Amino acid sequence: MATLPHNPDQGDFETAATSKNSTSTSSPKKASRVRRDKVSSHESFLTYGSGRWAKIAIGIFVVSLATYLFIDVEPRHNGGSWYGYTLGTIGLLLILWLTLLGVRKRAITPGRWSLKAWTSAHVYLGLSLIAIGTLHAGFQLGWNVHTLAWALMMLVIVSGLFGIWVYARLPTAMSANRFDAEGAITEKQMIEGLKQLDRQIHDAAQPLDPEAAAVIDKSLEENVFAGSAYARVMNRYPNCRTRAAIADIRKLRNFRPRLEDDPFAKVDTLLSRKEALLAKLRRHLQLKSWLQSWLFIHVPATFALIAALSAHVISVFFYW
Amino acid sequence: MSFLVRQIALKASGGEIVRAKRVDGDEMKIGRDGNCGIHLPDLGVDPEAALVTQLDETHIEIESLTNLPFECDGLKVTRKELDVTNGSELVFGSHRIKLGQDPRSRFPTFTVRRETPMAHSSADNDLTDVYTLKGKVPGKRMSAWAFAAMVAIAFLAWPIYSYATYNDLALKKDGVRPAGFHADKMWESGKLSVAHKGLENDCQSCHVEPFVAVRDNACLTCHKQDAHDHIKVANATDRLVQARGEPTGFAGFQRAVGSTFNKPAGRCVECHTEHEGEGAMAATDQKFCTECHDGMKARLPDTKLPDAADFGTSHPQFMPAVITNAAPEKPVVKRIAWTPNAKEFGGLKFTHAQHLSTTNGVAQMVRRRPSEFPEQSGLDCENCHQADPSGTWFKPVVMEESCQTCHSLTFDQVGGTFRTLRHGEPEMVVADLRSFFAGGAPVRPANLGGMARRQPGDSSAAGVAKDYARAVRFYPTQANQAITMLFNKGGACFDCHTIIPGGAATGGYNIQNVAQTQRYLQKGWFTHDRHTKFECVDCHLKAETSNDATDLLIPGLGGKGGCRDCHVGQGGASLASVKQPVESGCAMCHDYHADDGAPWMSRQPASRRASVDRKRNAGSAGTTSR
Repeated sequence: MATLPHNPDQGDFETAATSKNSTSTSSPKKASRVRRDKVSSHESFLTYGSGRWAKIAIGIFVVSLATYLFIDVEPRHNGGSWYGYTLGTIGLLLILWLTLLGVRKRAITPGRWSLKAWTSAHVYLGLSLIAIGTLHAGFQLGWNVHTLAWALMMLVIVSGLFGIWVYARLPTAMSANRFDAEGAITEKQMIEGLKQLDRQIHDAAQPLDPEAAAVIDKSLEENVFAGSAYARVMNRYPNCRTRAAIADIRKLRNFRPRLEDDPFAKVDTLLSRKEALLAKLRRHLQLKSWLQSWLFIHVPATFALIAALSAHVISVFFYW
Repeated sequence: MSFLVRQIALKASGGEIVRAKRVDGDEMKIGRDGNCGIHLPDLGVDPEAALVTQLDETHIEIESLTNLPFECDGLKVTRKELDVTNGSELVFGSHRIKLGQDPRSRFPTFTVRRETPMAHSSADNDLTDVYTLKGKVPGKRMSAWAFAAMVAIAFLAWPIYSYATYNDLALKKDGVRPAGFHADKMWESGKLSVAHKGLENDCQSCHVEPFVAVRDNACLTCHKQDAHDHIKVANATDRLVQARGEPTGFAGFQRAVGSTFNKPAGRCVECHTEHEGEGAMAATDQKFCTECHDGMKARLPDTKLPDAADFGTSHPQFMPAVITNAAPEKPVVKRIAWTPNAKEFGGLKFTHAQHLSTTNGVAQMVRRRPSEFPEQSGLDCENCHQADPSGTWFKPVVMEESCQTCHSLTFDQVGGTFRTLRHGEPEMVVADLRSFFAGGAPVRPANLGGMARRQPGDSSAAGVAKDYARAVRFYPTQANQAITMLFNKGGACFDCHTIIPGGAATGGYNIQNVAQTQRYLQKGWFTHDRHTKFECVDCHLKAETSNDATDLLIPGLGGKGGCRDCHVGQGGASLASVKQPVESGCAMCHDYHADDGAPWMSRQPASRRASVDRKRNAGSAGTTSR
């Protein structure tokens, strides 16, 4: 079972995606930093309690599948048999309970029902809904509100699975991206570095002719955080002004004599450094957007699911 | 003359730093170049962008050095004469230059201020959420409410509106909604069966009231004639419920839950489940029958019906309706319990075994007449028993068609025409005979006449004369004698019929009525049509051994040739014990809403039946072959 990589900058449970601090530019409190790299007592919510909830979920899977196969419902399995109603009720209550994770995580409470336990149960019981929901339907799908509820449930589950996957994999990539030979840089340091480079480029570009200066100015005016959600998620910035500026500057420089103290050379170097920093920053943005994006589907789909479930249940009793 | 230039820079803390300098001369350049009087460290400004020339004490001229326009009081110009006392504004790149006149020295003043930061990154942006997707995609809370509202409106509010709009069409046979989309169709969990296809667009025809489970009155809106009552007594429902008994255990719990949720027991839809997908309604499952009929005697002591459950294990013996007395005008028919030695008295004498033999005189007679019985070594069942057009039953055996070809009633020949006695009309038979004998002795052979040609010699003539004399001697010279012979042992009538005393018109004899049973099992359904791959004697075993027409030849429940040879009931337990097991639930032979026709399940075309069977058999251990 995959374990979430431990991030030395963060607290025990928080990840870069959930931490408010990680997105702010205020300096981290150095005094409170605790090195736990060497001896880690960290236990992921995926392996919580030696996979207690994973085992329970597998149990639910096996039991519901076995009962589905061995209980003979005439004329065939569907949500309207006693077995279907039983699974449906269990599924409905389970969905409502799973939704309560959003309430639970906002309430900081001590005690046995730790948030980690709750999250672990959320993940595995959520997965067991695949069996409960599908067997409830008896594999009868169609173009109706009932299948809509099922489809939304599956969307929520799949987006949640994706979330688990990114939580398990991406923090490593994120750390790797932020580390280089000079050590790690924080989000704040990235912005500071960018500011500094922009200042240097601005100063270095002063001697340039109007044409070259205009090229540089475009790079300076670029808002690196402006890209669309798609650009962030895909890390695609085809209209990057800095890259365009480098290309243009080199084009202009090609037809000039090489001088001892060439402002073009200086600007070129600085722009290249800016580009490298931008690459790092944008990769960071991409990883963060992946870490966050699934929730933008998971949460709204959950509420759409609850609405569809209400319609599903009410419609059944309405046309009883 | 001079110019006063005041360059204002912002401090990090927010305050301003003012750097003032005096540029002497009548001319001054504006540009990015460090040598310019007004130095604008701005990449948007040319190294030498414009030239300021003092014209007189209050007027200056500004002229672009690059032919590129600059902004002056909101207008793009390349050259402009200005009165400094009016306080104009110039814009070069990101810098705004305010013009004025120093009140003391009367020099023109240029107050330079950077309007936009030199780089986007150096602007004082709010960086709290720049690393998040905030603002890039719709917020979670907002889209959650939006999607939930959309779903609730489209899939809940709209269908309810559809229902409310057309509710007045409910319980009206011809109340149909206009074609097109109705939102409550989105609630449909599965297609209706083929029989109800026409109702597909009319939810209200069955779902009459909200939160009230479908009631029988909705079904009976259309099914007025064809819903044959299962039992035809006044208190039918009470008896049905009584027969079912009070459910216990889990069934009791189910009943309780059903009642709690307003689903009363005993409605049509309990058996006739709908929305199970396009196709025919599934045949009724056996358990719906056995719920009542298994051990019914205990719950319904006054019932005449024996208990019945699975056909293979607990079905009562057949009770065929047989003729016990064919003599009256209307034969007496009685249902008796089938036994191997059961008797039926149809009034005929017939020897099945003798007729089916391949070695006796009957067989020889058949073999002698290959034009009528081609390639037969003896009689076959179908020489007499012909299926009716439906293939279900057999037509009654008719003497003229089946018997007379051998059992001839010919008594005279006139020219090439044979005269026969009229079957079924004893009075005419007697009358014909009397008339025949009134005509005298047998015809005298021609060759006994003097002029006739004959074989030479007397011996031949003597032989003919002897034959004739014998014929005359033995010929019934009186009609009464012939009639007596006919109706007594050895006579044509007596061979097959029971002779009873009769009136004078029939010579004191008469023929007892004959009756044939076409359908023995009135309460269950059997069709020969579906059993054509078997020989008749596979089931009608005794046909090959019985020489008594009163032997009941229909097969019974079990034993050799019985139905259970193949039909083993529903469920897998007993399937393995026979060679060709056929899974047979109650519905194969019985109908809940029974009429005279085939039960609903057997009425299906074979292809449909096969698919129903497949569905039913899916998951059960046994396999069936048909």
